Amino acid sequence: MPGMRDVEIRSRSTELLIMCIVFMLSLPVITGYALIILSSFSRDMVTNLDPSAFKPTLTNWILLFHGRTALFAGIRVNIWGIVFNTLIVALGISLLVTITGALTGYAISRMNFHGRKHIMALLILLHAFPGSVLVVGVAFIYRLFMPSYTYVVYYSFFFVILARAAIEIPMATWLMKGFFDMIPWEIEWSAIVDGASRIRVWWKILLPLIKPGLAAVMLFGFLAGWMDLIYVRTFLAEPTLAVFIEYNVHAEYAYLPLVAAAGTLYLLPTILFFLFAQKLIFTISVSGIKG
Amino acid sequence: MVGIKLNKIFFHRLFNNLVEFFRSDASRFLFPALFLVLVFYIIPVIISVYLSFTPLKNWNIDRYAGEIIGFENYYKFFYMLTHDPSVKAVFLTTIVFVALTLTVNVLGGLGLAIATYFMSEKAAGGTQLIWLLPRMTPIAVYSMIWYYFFHPSSIGTLNSILLHLGLIDKPIDFGQGIIPWGAWAIIVFVNGLVGVSYGMIVFTSAISNIPKELVIAARVDGASNWEITRRILIPLLKWHIIYVTTWQLLSLITTYDHLFLLVKWGLVNRDYGTTWSLYIYNTAFQLGETDQGLAAAAGVILVLVSSGLGLLTLKLMGFEKMIKPPRGDI
Repeated sequence: MPGMRDVEIRSRSTELLIMCIVFMLSLPVITGYALIILSSFSRDMVTNLDPSAFKPTLTNWILLFHGRTALFAGIRVNIWGIVFNTLIVALGISLLVTITGALTGYAISRMNFHGRKHIMALLILLHAFPGSVLVVGVAFIYRLFMPSYTYVVYYSFFFVILARAAIEIPMATWLMKGFFDMIPWEIEWSAIVDGASRIRVWWKILLPLIKPGLAAVMLFGFLAGWMDLIYVRTFLAEPTLAVFIEYNVHAEYAYLPLVAAAGTLYLLPTILFFLFAQKLIFTISVSGIKG
Repeated sequence: MVGIKLNKIFFHRLFNNLVEFFRSDASRFLFPALFLVLVFYIIPVIISVYLSFTPLKNWNIDRYAGEIIGFENYYKFFYMLTHDPSVKAVFLTTIVFVALTLTVNVLGGLGLAIATYFMSEKAAGGTQLIWLLPRMTPIAVYSMIWYYFFHPSSIGTLNSILLHLGLIDKPIDFGQGIIPWGAWAIIVFVNGLVGVSYGMIVFTSAISNIPKELVIAARVDGASNWEITRRILIPLLKWHIIYVTTWQLLSLITTYDHLFLLVKWGLVNRDYGTTWSLYIYNTAFQLGETDQGLAAAAGVILVLVSSGLGLLTLKLMGFEKMIKPPRGDI
């Protein structure tokens, strides 16, 4: 979100100096990411910055896609299943957050109802609520409604998606409210005067107008689900990429460049969004993600 | 007697309000969100508070969840806080971690926002993207990146840089060997990078709302970058600085996911790498014999601290101003 720029008469040399300083400060971040990605294409980890350690190879990726996590041992995992699990969680959360966010955002932007003020205060307070305390109570509910063994996998997916989406609702609501606030009220006013219901107006007139907003919330929900570590490792009966990395980074048998390849694969959506959807990235970050 | 009467009036009004709310159009829009928030937010919180009064261990719900033991978990937690060295370390770590990371986040965010202001549009956009990356990266990958960066062997990036420069003879174990500051430096660094972007974004959008004439006038009068920053930008950002500080303070007290793997993988010391929030999670789910009652009690105390600070945030943010009445009701 490049904001207002300084006026043109600033000096070019100080600008270069500032850019150099900022670049130096950014170096650890750039290095850290680059080394993991490079390691995934090398026979040995190159995190020691030694150019001779870099022996280019695609073996890591081939082994990874065959689901072999160690070079010699016969350990096999279904990596595509793991990617699929991660994707299901992310897409489920994205969908749920978008629908609820669009509904709630509209109500808060356009309607005056009893308790509007309280609901908005609640949304902010919830955002600042300690997640680790919440997880204890959520885990209790999880165990209370545990179904028989056959259905545990489905139940855990369903549960993780709902529980994780609930956490993102406050932020998604604020995001959507901002988009609804930008649309002139007159557009829907005429439809309401003609006797259309609020739901109909929301669906037929407003949603088509805020497609960029919906895209932003979808991306926001997707990334939240894709990034998640704690909820999937605590509740999901099947592994995701996060859990795979958690158990393989310091496992004795682990072949590290292969874990780096898994990490790079896991990082891929983030990189793609940064390359092709920068505008959306800025939109979601303006409304702020917790951190 | 007066209390009972007031209670009656209160509940009567609450009931009427609820009825009216459910009759309104708005409730149809709010239902899905309210349902999810109720089931996965509000009820779990109530359950957590309840569990803090039970001896629940190892998730043995049938055996322990029905038993009430009063404030025993709280006494236990306070006893541990004063006697158990590792809980003492956790408490100290939380304070140091929050104070230092908060400073890094606010000053770093401010510095980045002002630095990008003096840059060309393209360079500013690129810088902001780089600094947003940590926030958007999957937590497991992000932890892995810093795991290898600070790795205690010569495979670690920092160690190999220091070895090449000849500053050390053999690799240093930063997170386990240099206690407590090595572990603290790592967790502050790793979390600081995630948090910096929040301040950067808020301050950048605030700066873009400052009338351009102010800066132009100062430039014409020959003001340097530093003078513009000190005399125009920072005074006008005062309110935003307060806002970002309180908001980040709350986030830092409650955050634990970016620390979890660093502790689990042994990059940082278990005691001096664990904050209160992570301690709650690990007590309930991780450490051999899990103790949910104790975790919940530690959690309730943390909630009291953070909700007190949360109310303060609402006040500082000028909450009334933010919820100005909506447009659009006939």
